[in-house]
Amino acid sequence: MSQNNTNSDGIATANDTAAGSQSGRRDRPLVGDDVVLSYSGTDDPVIDGESITAEPGAVTALVGPNGSGKSTLLKGLANQLEPDAGSVLLDGQDIQTLETKAIARKLGLLSQESTSPNSISVEDLVYHGRYPHRGFFDSVTEEDEAAVERAIDLAGCGHLREREVGSLSGGQKQLAWIAMVLAQDTDVLLLDEPTTFLDLHHQLEVMEIIETLRDESEITIVVVLHDIEQAARLADRMVALKDGEIQARGPPEAVVTEQLLADVFEIEAEVSATPHGPRVNPIRARHDGDEHTTGDDTAEPDRAEEVVAE
Amino acid sequence: MASETRGATDAWSWARSWLGTLDGSLFGLCVASVAVAFGAGLLQVSFGAYSMTILEAWQAVFDPKVWFSVQAWQSFFLGTELPELPKRTLIVWNIRMPRVIVAVLAGICLAVSGAIFQAVTRNELASPFVLGVSSGAGLAVLLTLVLFSSLAPFLPLFAAVGGSIAFLLVYMIAWKGGTSPVRLVLAGVIVNMVFTSLQRGLFFFADDLGVVQSALAWITGSLTGVGWEEFRIAIIPTLAATLLALAGARQLNLLLLGEETASSLGMSVERVRFMLSAVAILAASTAISVAGIIGFFGLVVPHIVRLIVGSDYRRLLIGCMFVGPALMVVADVGARLALNPAQVPVGVVTGVVGGPYFLYLMRRQEQMGEI
Repeated sequence: MSQNNTNSDGIATANDTAAGSQSGRRDRPLVGDDVVLSYSGTDDPVIDGESITAEPGAVTALVGPNGSGKSTLLKGLANQLEPDAGSVLLDGQDIQTLETKAIARKLGLLSQESTSPNSISVEDLVYHGRYPHRGFFDSVTEEDEAAVERAIDLAGCGHLREREVGSLSGGQKQLAWIAMVLAQDTDVLLLDEPTTFLDLHHQLEVMEIIETLRDESEITIVVVLHDIEQAARLADRMVALKDGEIQARGPPEAVVTEQLLADVFEIEAEVSATPHGPRVNPIRARHDGDEHTTGDDTAEPDRAEEVVAE
Repeated sequence: MASETRGATDAWSWARSWLGTLDGSLFGLCVASVAVAFGAGLLQVSFGAYSMTILEAWQAVFDPKVWFSVQAWQSFFLGTELPELPKRTLIVWNIRMPRVIVAVLAGICLAVSGAIFQAVTRNELASPFVLGVSSGAGLAVLLTLVLFSSLAPFLPLFAAVGGSIAFLLVYMIAWKGGTSPVRLVLAGVIVNMVFTSLQRGLFFFADDLGVVQSALAWITGSLTGVGWEEFRIAIIPTLAATLLALAGARQLNLLLLGEETASSLGMSVERVRFMLSAVAILAASTAISVAGIIGFFGLVVPHIVRLIVGSDYRRLLIGCMFVGPALMVVADVGARLALNPAQVPVGVVTGVVGGPYFLYLMRRQEQMGEI
């Protein structure tokens, strides 16, 4: 059932597979190869045979409407969801064959909803990020301490260190969780909607952290973002999903187009280029009954396809 | 050589990290618990059918004829013959003291077991008994007493086995490509319901009142008549469960962050959850095998400790190991002496006092349930 994607994705798949098995390591830190993902108890897979390659040392953003499968795809890449078919390659190795702690030393995941006891201190929470680096009876090493310091510093939550997590605002909590996942000290970082539900100040703060990570380290980041404009501003590459299928991928300017917004997000919008990347000015929601009015539809029917082929 | 020093520093920093958890509130709690346990224990050994003054009781407790007698300690720990002792000393050391000490062990076991189950299910309302252990043990006890009375000497063993089987059953029912805290608790409710009905049914097959009373004592939890033999049964599993629980404290802490976070940090959640549950079963079974099914205890104690020292399991477990015994000894003093000369099972006291206290906590706290 995973063999039915005969669109231009098929070509990308073949390339990915070949490269993944040969060179593999540094240049391909994380590859999803024709993965089929589903949740137990449901019949239809959410993701039915898609391939994705995280650009090394860059930020890849997954965008798409609610229920498009972007979070599912991220879970699959993070080994939180076992693929029914296909494979995920971490540094060229099938992630299924790796030991869980070994994966966690290379790949960090910040989930969308995180729960913690209210009385835990921010510092203790961040120390949990060192879990994969510690043996069963190992005590805290200097390396652990250094990593925690670095993470707290990077996430800018030094002033919250002694506070109890339960007493923090939503934005402050998110910074603490980001610090925890940074303390994990991984080459690959997956973030599931890290800015959703945050006020503007904290949204920008989170984006700055991601930018710093990209600019000052070799970390490969894949981030699911709700806000397409934010994604365009932050990402080096974007991947747009709809109904579990990748509709477009490429640099933000190529992905964020009026055509794609109409096809994938079902909105009518104006897109204008700015120094900060494409700017989206949403006009109205498109409905099923809507005529394919805007002439562009016929004028550039292959635009999304082109991007996919890239 | 180098590795030796490294091992030594590791051990040292490991010890230090544990000492670091011992701050004011935890330390105060431990000291207060020891004082309470000691005071209640002294009351317990002083009063009873054979009356003696507190002073006489003290003298008996600190009787050098016991403390410096190898034979006496051998008798306590290995079950050999007791040496000749004065009557008061004999009563205190052979009848009243073991009851206090077994209460201490049962208190540790139930508190630790409850604390672990609450982390594993990430639910403050979980306890050894919510997950089927009590009903399984109770059913095993009744089956033994009513149908296979010749096997009565193995009752503690059967109780423990029954508890474990019930828990495994709960786990199997809850398993659906993995478990979840809610499914575990619900499966526990189902198994409890079926097993409790079976217990009630069995009562009708009991032929004499003695069996019924003995079965009732087991099912409500009683320390009446426990001696050094029960101590010998419980001491090793208690130590093992305690050490294993402390070793797993970091895993328990990580489980509190939720399955997703725990597994994304590289924990094999299902495996760890099952192994920690096994430790909790061991602890609960130990308490059940010597004291029957003492209700509410494993639920309330970790809760009280959490209010005082917070949810860090390194601190919480240590707190439970002190508060559990103290409260159990106090409850047993109430059970034995409150209606003197009549005794009630200690499980009645923990239920009658623990229930309303829990209600009070529930009303006072805004939200309860998830840790």
